[in-house]
Amino acid sequence: MPNSLIPALDPAPLPGPPWLFQVLWVLTFFIHIVFVNTVLGGTLLAALAGLAGEGRRETRTLFVEVNSWAISLAITFGIAPLLFIQVVLGRFFYTATILVAWAWLGMLVLLTVAYYLNYVAKFRLRAGKGAGAVVAVEAACFLAIAAIQVTVNLLHLQPGRWAVVADHVWAALSDRTFAPRYLHFVFAAVAMAGALAAWVAVRRAAHGGDAGACRAMARFGIRAALVATLLQLADGFWLLLALPEEVLRSFMRAGAATMAPLGVGVMAGVLLLVVLAGISDPLAQSTRVRRVAELVVVAMAVMVVTRHQLRDFYLAAARAGEQVTVAPQLGPLALFLGVFVLCIGLTIWVLVRAAKDRPAPGERAA
Amino acid sequence: MVRFSQRLITVGKGDGVDYPIWNLAMGGGVLIGIVAITHVIVSHFAVGGGFAIAVIETLAVRRGNPAWRALAKRSSLMLILVSTVFGAISGVGIWVTIGLVQPAATSALIHNYVWGWAAEWGFFILEVVTALLYYATWDKVRPRTHLVIIWLYAFAAYMSLVIIQGILSFMLTPGRWLETHSFWDGIFNPSYLPGIVLRTGICLFLAGAYLTLAALREHDRLARAPMVRLLAWFQVAGILLAYGGYRWWEHVLPESVRAIFLGGKALLPALAATRHLALWALAAYLLVALFAALAPRSHMWPTAVAAMLAACVFFGAYERLREGARKPFVIRDFMFSNGILVSDIGKLDEHGVLATAVWAARGSAASQEAMGRAVFRAECAACHTIDGYLSIRKLVAPVDPDMLNGILGTLREEGKEYARGTYTHQGHVATDKLDYPLMPPLVGTAAEQEALAVYLLTLQPSHIAEASHAQ
Repeated sequence: MPNSLIPALDPAPLPGPPWLFQVLWVLTFFIHIVFVNTVLGGTLLAALAGLAGEGRRETRTLFVEVNSWAISLAITFGIAPLLFIQVVLGRFFYTATILVAWAWLGMLVLLTVAYYLNYVAKFRLRAGKGAGAVVAVEAACFLAIAAIQVTVNLLHLQPGRWAVVADHVWAALSDRTFAPRYLHFVFAAVAMAGALAAWVAVRRAAHGGDAGACRAMARFGIRAALVATLLQLADGFWLLLALPEEVLRSFMRAGAATMAPLGVGVMAGVLLLVVLAGISDPLAQSTRVRRVAELVVVAMAVMVVTRHQLRDFYLAAARAGEQVTVAPQLGPLALFLGVFVLCIGLTIWVLVRAAKDRPAPGERAA
Repeated sequence: MVRFSQRLITVGKGDGVDYPIWNLAMGGGVLIGIVAITHVIVSHFAVGGGFAIAVIETLAVRRGNPAWRALAKRSSLMLILVSTVFGAISGVGIWVTIGLVQPAATSALIHNYVWGWAAEWGFFILEVVTALLYYATWDKVRPRTHLVIIWLYAFAAYMSLVIIQGILSFMLTPGRWLETHSFWDGIFNPSYLPGIVLRTGICLFLAGAYLTLAALREHDRLARAPMVRLLAWFQVAGILLAYGGYRWWEHVLPESVRAIFLGGKALLPALAATRHLALWALAAYLLVALFAALAPRSHMWPTAVAAMLAACVFFGAYERLREGARKPFVIRDFMFSNGILVSDIGKLDEHGVLATAVWAARGSAASQEAMGRAVFRAECAACHTIDGYLSIRKLVAPVDPDMLNGILGTLREEGKEYARGTYTHQGHVATDKLDYPLMPPLVGTAAEQEALAVYLLTLQPSHIAEASHAQ
């Protein structure tokens, strides 16, 4: 492997212990991917809502309305893992992005277009107009963004491919794990969005919503989650077997540290299938629907850990001689933790206050 | 292997030139400029807009004034679309573009300021959530709760500016950080407070200028005039703050930068002209804002649009000045705009820049011309393109070999002067004393300099004509 193409380690020391960056990275990436899956899967289901029959409009409206805040939160929570990957693996990450620079930059254009299209769809739906085509283009933008992200992630893990990609940029797509990895994210997103649609429909029905529309939306969500999970299990094995031999071997030999998260993830997937298959009338089986949502979140959480572990095995050879110097910045770290706790506290407080505060009859509203 | 160290920085282990180079015809600096200036206008509006809307809704609630309430409500959608949509995406856009164009500098910044950025991210979460919540809770919650939301938004947005200003100003005036490498010395650098005052003023006047456009949509003339007047005073206050902040900022800049600003180098008139443009735009803006404050009924679309344009011209020119003033550095007195560290000059002169610039040298043949091309990619391509922005072909076209060697020799000599600290004044490199004050020096071996000259001469039209003729 031409390690010489790997840029030198940044001469500045890490401003905190590596484990702290790893923990923060995984944690914030998990929150980020929850919103990303909501957006990607939700937009895909909104585009495919025609299959929902009676609940078509409700399903489409749900995801378009959810997207108007979920996209913002996906971007906002994407900033932190973007910071931490640059601290820990900047030299690999920057190189990968530069090699596919136009695509990486184009991601911003796609994101802007998709976000504003969502607002177009939102206002069209509120005006009683159709928004199928708009949502379909929005979904295509998000699918393309996901492909770019997967490409960059695979590329930063494999310095051995850099020379080829530098000469032929389309070679960035030629990795044999690209397709299963990409599908893995898309199926997870669809499963999560399906679970979300079913859960919202059950709650709406419980609060007096139109039973017919809610039932159709819930069934559509459950069906989507079932199909996506079924395909996910097959794709998961494809991805595992497509991993480079040395990576797979290291992963399998790492013992409980790697096998436990993977095992829990696979079990959560299988359980999810069983629960989903047992739902015939979602509105009458609200507990099962809630279980689906819980299992999806558990599976995602452990898969985020597995993904992070795989990264270490991919980069083990390239980082073998890495001499990382650490000079913790304790004051700035305390500043971050203080600000973070304060802001999250204020965010939760204001959300609760806004949710509970309703003007009494005859009282003026804002 | 992880090693804990009491030393805050170890300079010289790695070099900034060993990343792949993205060949962009428009120039990487121009791309960063476009994304950054767009983002700063949007983000400053998001800060000032939140404060202005909070004031307007507070007044509306206290006075029970439906027209003021309608103005706040009308403006809140724009706040969402600008702040949480475009602001967030263009903010990430800055990360994306600087990582592509200046990876070494981005890495240096992130290693020093990751906790600062992470703290800013905390405020950004609060900012985004409150912005979305504010828009979503119109007509749904009591007025007091709605006011709490928008004031929280204004607080979070302003705090985000308070943090990020430390990192932005650090790049131009790193101050004591150069000796201590302390996070706090870097953040509270000489131009930090002047920049805060200046940017606070900019936030206020941008918000006032935009909200005036929204206020002009009010059909009731009696209701419209007090809105326009209040927003005009907002702008006057912002302009005066910005002017004071600007003068203070200019005052704390290294003397050599100020000298170039004030036209000290006849060959570099652009910065001085930009400074004049900024100050004249601000003066014109002040006149328009005073007119709006004193005669709000006469302040209509043409003058309101003129005010908005003047606001953007001042801000854009200031940002251009700030970026220009930093040249030839990306972090003043520490790292050049091509990613080379000042402290690495001696080592690179001895071993050659191509010893570490593996991406620049990749695929080069063993010829002197190929070596020169690699040196160009390593040291010059961060700013110069072949035929696009700052086209090197155009620059070398009128130059004969002797003159070119003379220029390169001077640039290389300037590198030694940087390393020796020949022109250091009050701890800063006195760039105005150099022949090429905005250019990083040429570093590397004599053979690399010769090779660069050979390569550059091949770009001359006469050389291309000869080569074609020979074929």
